[in-house]
Amino acid sequence: MRYEIRVEGHVSETLTNAFPEMEHVVMSGQTVLFGTVIDEAHLYGLLVRCQSLGLRVMEMRQLPE
Amino acid sequence: MSATDRTAPDPAATGTDPVGDPYLRTRFTLPSRPTTFLRRRRLLDRLDQALRTPLTLVNGPAGAGKTLLVADWAAGLPSPVAWLTVEAGDQRPGVFWAYVFEALRTCGARAAEAAGAPANPGGVGHGLLAALAAELNARDRPAVLVLDEYDRVTAPEVAEQLEFVLRHAGQGLRLVLVTRTEPQLPLHRYRAAGELTEIRGAELSLTPQEADALLRLHGLRLPSHATSALVERTRGWAAGLRLSALAAQGSSDPERYLKEFEAGHSTVADFLLAEVLKGRTPQAQDLLLRVSVLDRFCPDLADALTLRKDAEPLLAELHRENAFIERLAHSWYRLHPLFREILRAHLRERLPGLEPELHLRAARWLRRSGFVAEALTQGAAGGDFDLAAGALVDDLAIGELFTGLRSDGLLQLFAGMGPEASSEASDLVRAAGALARRDLDHGLRGLRRAEQRLFDAEDRPDLAAARLSCTLLQALAARLTGCPPRAERAAAAAGQLLRDLPDRLLDEHQELTALLMTHLGSVRLWEGRYEEARTALLRGADAPGGSATVLPRTEAMGHLALADYLNGWPGRAERRARAAVSEGELAGLPGPPGAGLGRMVLAAVAVDRQELGRARSLLDETAGSPAREHDPVPTALRALAASRLLLDEDETDAAAEAAETAVPTTVASPWAQGHAAVVRSAACLAAGRPDEALRLLHVVSGEQPVCAVEAAAIQVAAGRPRAADDLLGAVRAEGRAGPAVRVGAALVRARAARDTGETDLARRLLARALLDARRERLRRPFLRAGEWIEPLLATSPLRELAEGWLLPGPPPGHGPPPGHGGQPRAVSETVPLVPVELSGRERDVLRRLARMRTTEEIAADLYVSVNTVKTHLKSAYRKLAVNRRGDAVNRARELGQL
Repeated sequence: MRYEIRVEGHVSETLTNAFPEMEHVVMSGQTVLFGTVIDEAHLYGLLVRCQSLGLRVMEMRQLPE
Repeated sequence: MSATDRTAPDPAATGTDPVGDPYLRTRFTLPSRPTTFLRRRRLLDRLDQALRTPLTLVNGPAGAGKTLLVADWAAGLPSPVAWLTVEAGDQRPGVFWAYVFEALRTCGARAAEAAGAPANPGGVGHGLLAALAAELNARDRPAVLVLDEYDRVTAPEVAEQLEFVLRHAGQGLRLVLVTRTEPQLPLHRYRAAGELTEIRGAELSLTPQEADALLRLHGLRLPSHATSALVERTRGWAAGLRLSALAAQGSSDPERYLKEFEAGHSTVADFLLAEVLKGRTPQAQDLLLRVSVLDRFCPDLADALTLRKDAEPLLAELHRENAFIERLAHSWYRLHPLFREILRAHLRERLPGLEPELHLRAARWLRRSGFVAEALTQGAAGGDFDLAAGALVDDLAIGELFTGLRSDGLLQLFAGMGPEASSEASDLVRAAGALARRDLDHGLRGLRRAEQRLFDAEDRPDLAAARLSCTLLQALAARLTGCPPRAERAAAAAGQLLRDLPDRLLDEHQELTALLMTHLGSVRLWEGRYEEARTALLRGADAPGGSATVLPRTEAMGHLALADYLNGWPGRAERRARAAVSEGELAGLPGPPGAGLGRMVLAAVAVDRQELGRARSLLDETAGSPAREHDPVPTALRALAASRLLLDEDETDAAAEAAETAVPTTVASPWAQGHAAVVRSAACLAAGRPDEALRLLHVVSGEQPVCAVEAAAIQVAAGRPRAADDLLGAVRAEGRAGPAVRVGAALVRARAARDTGETDLARRLLARALLDARRERLRRPFLRAGEWIEPLLATSPLRELAEGWLLPGPPPGHGPPPGHGGQPRAVSETVPLVPVELSGRERDVLRRLARMRTTEEIAADLYVSVNTVKTHLKSAYRKLAVNRRGDAVNRARELGQL
C-alpha cells in the first residue's frame, strides 16, 4: 500500500533522513512524505516517528496503486 | 570523583533496585526544574483537583511541558509521591509492576518489608495486585503515583491491571498518567462518574501572557503583538517557545530574528533546534550529538563518548540554560525526548557511521563502572555481542537468562547475536539461549564447544566466571537429558570454582547457585537418590529472596514435594507443593516446570485421596506448560498422576498408555519405571491377564516404597502371597517410608491373612491401616483393594474407623452426630471428605440401569462388551459401597451423582 503523510511546515533535509524509506516533497507550507508502507504496524510506526520528532501531522491518506 | 560515587543512592532510597541496578534509581526521582522554568498557577490549580479524583490524565504532544509541570506540582505535595519514568522495556507486565512496586516503596508509600514482588517478566500474580490494592486502600492519606511517559506502555493487560488496582485501592491511591497518547483505560466511565481530572494539549498551550513571562525568564522582552504572533506561530507549544527564546538569544536582534521565524514555513522544533545548535560552541554541539545515543548520561560517560574531558562544565551550563537537557538525580542527565530524536537525526547526518562506535564506547564505560545491564544494551546496539556476552558472563549473570525479571529482555537482546560473535562467553550465551528454549540439539552442541574451549585451556583466573557459568549449563543439560554423572561432575567443578570467585559477585547472583543446586537435585531425584537429592534441593529451596530466585526456589520445593510423595508422605508432599504453587503464583510465574511440578504433586495426592475431579483439574492446569518438554522429572510425574487417575476412572487402556513417558534419557528412573509398571500391571489384571500383570512387576524394587506396596497388592491379588511378602520385606528394610507405605503394606498383609483364614490378624492389620490412612485421608488403597475388604469393613470396630471419611456415616472422632446441634462446622468440613466420584462411564452405565436396561442392552447401547459393562458396574458398586443394582442407583441418586 502507498501512503502520503502531510506534515505542517518545511521539514529540514536532516530530519527527512529520519524517514529513509519515504520520499518527500516540500510545498506550500507543508511537507509531504510518501511511499510504500509495508503494513499497519509500519503505518503506526511512521505516526509515532512524526510525534517523537515534534512534527504536526495534517493529513494522512492511502494513495491509489 | 568516580562515576559510581556520583550515583550513590540517597540515604532515603536504600534497598535494591528490582532489577538490581542502581543506574535505574534515576527513574524514581522527580526531574528537577531548571531556573528558567515557568510556574503556571492555573495548571497547578487544576492539578490540585487530582487529589480528589482517582485518575488524572496529563495528555499532550512531545515538548508540551507535561513532565516538568507534574514534577513541579508533585514536589509541593505533602502526601508521598511515587514517581516512575516508564521506559520501552517496561512493556512486559511483570517488569512494569516490579518498577511500580519499587517506586511506591522508595517514596515510603509501601512498607519496606511489604510482601511480594513480581518475579516473572511476562506476568504478575493477581493475588499480588489485590494485596497491593488492599494495602493502599488501608491508607489514611492517599499515595500519589505518577507514571511519566506512560505512552510507552502498549501492553493492554497493563492497562487492565492498573484499572484493577485503581478501582480496589479506593481513596488510597491517586494515579497520574503523563502521556502523549490516550491511555487504554475506560476514560468515559471515569469521566461520567466525575472521577477524572484531565489536562489536555489545549490547556497545556501557553497563553500570550505566559509566553511573555517565559521569554522574560530568558532575558527577552518583546512587544505584546510580537509575543502573540510567536504564540500563534508555535501554537503555544512550550518547546517551540523555549527554543525560539534560545535561538533569539544568540542573535544580535532578537525581535527581528523572531519576526523572520514567524514569517517562515519551517517546522518549528526542527528548524529552531538546528538554529539553537548552531549557536553553541563546537564542543557543546559535538557533546549533544554524541549523547543522543544514550537514555541517560553523567559527565564521565559523556567524556567517554567525546574522548575529551569537558563534559562536566558543558552539561552544567546547558542545563542552566535549559537547552535540551534535564537533570536527574546524582549528576545524571537526560536529553529531552523530543530533542534527543532530532539530535540523533543530526548525528547521523554530521557524523555518519559513528553511532555503533558510540554505543560501544558507552558499553565499555558502563561495564567498567558496574552498570552491567546498560552495558549489555549498548554493546548489543553497537553490534559487539562478544562484548555484551563477556559483560554478562563475567558478572556471573548468566542465570538471569533463565530466571528473574530480565530473562525475557536478555534472551531477546541476544537473539540478535550472529555467528561473528565467537568468544567463549558468546558460545556460552548461545548455548544458554538454546537450552532455555529447550532446543537441546543446538544447546548441547554449543555447550560442548564452550566446554572444550574453557576447560582445555590452561588455568587462568579470569576464566573462573565463564567456567562456573559453564557448570550451570552442564547441570541443566544433565537434568534435561537425565544424566547423573554429568551433573555430579558439573557440581564438583562448580564447588571448586565458587571458591575462586569474589563473594560480592556470588551474593549479587544468588540465582546461579540456586539454579545449579535445583538442577543437580532434579537429576538425583530422577535417579532415585532421595537423600542426596534432598541435600541439593534444600539449598535451592532456601535460596535468599528476590525475584531472580523465585523460579529455582519453587522448582526445588516442587521436587522436594515429589520426593516426599514417592516415599509415602502425601500430607507433607501436599504442604510443600502448596507452598511452591502459592509462591509461584504470587510472583506471577506462569506454569513453568517448577510451579507445574507443585500442581502435579497436588494432583497425585488428590488421586490417592480419590478426589478425582480435583486431580483432573489440577492436571489440566499444567497441561499447557510448554517448558515441560524435555524435562524428565515433570514429564514422568505427570505420566504417573495422569495414568493413576485414568486407572481409577476405569479407563484401563488409556491408563496403560499414559504411563509411558516419552523423554529420552541417559539413565532410566527407578520410580518412573516402577510406577509405570504398576499402572500397566493393574491394567492387565483388570483385563484378566494376571500372568502378564505379574511379569510387568519385575522392575519394581523395595527401594521405591510406594510402588513396591502397590506391586505387592497386585501380587497378592494374583495369588502370589510369597512374592508380595518378599517385596514388603525389602520395603521395610528401606526405613524412610511414610504413612502411605504403611497403609499399603498393612492392606497387603491383611488380605494375605484373610486368604489363609487368619481373620483376626486381618482385622488388626486393617484397623492399623485405617488409623494411618484417616489422618492422611488416603482412600485409594481401600477402594482399590478389591471386594474382600467390604465384609471386613462392615464389622465393628472397623466400620466405626472407616465411617465419615471412607464409608458414609458420622465423621470420625467425637461429638454428637449431625442434626443434633453440637459441632456443625466440623461436620460440614468433613462432608467433602466422603465424596464418591463416579467416572463418566460408570455414570452412563448407572443411568441406563435406572431405566431398567439389561447388561446386554447397556453394552450394545454404549458400543462396549458385556464384560466392560460388568467392570464398570463392579467399580461403581465398590465406590458406592453397595452390592445390588437397585441399591447402586438409589445410592448414586442420594449422592447427587445421577
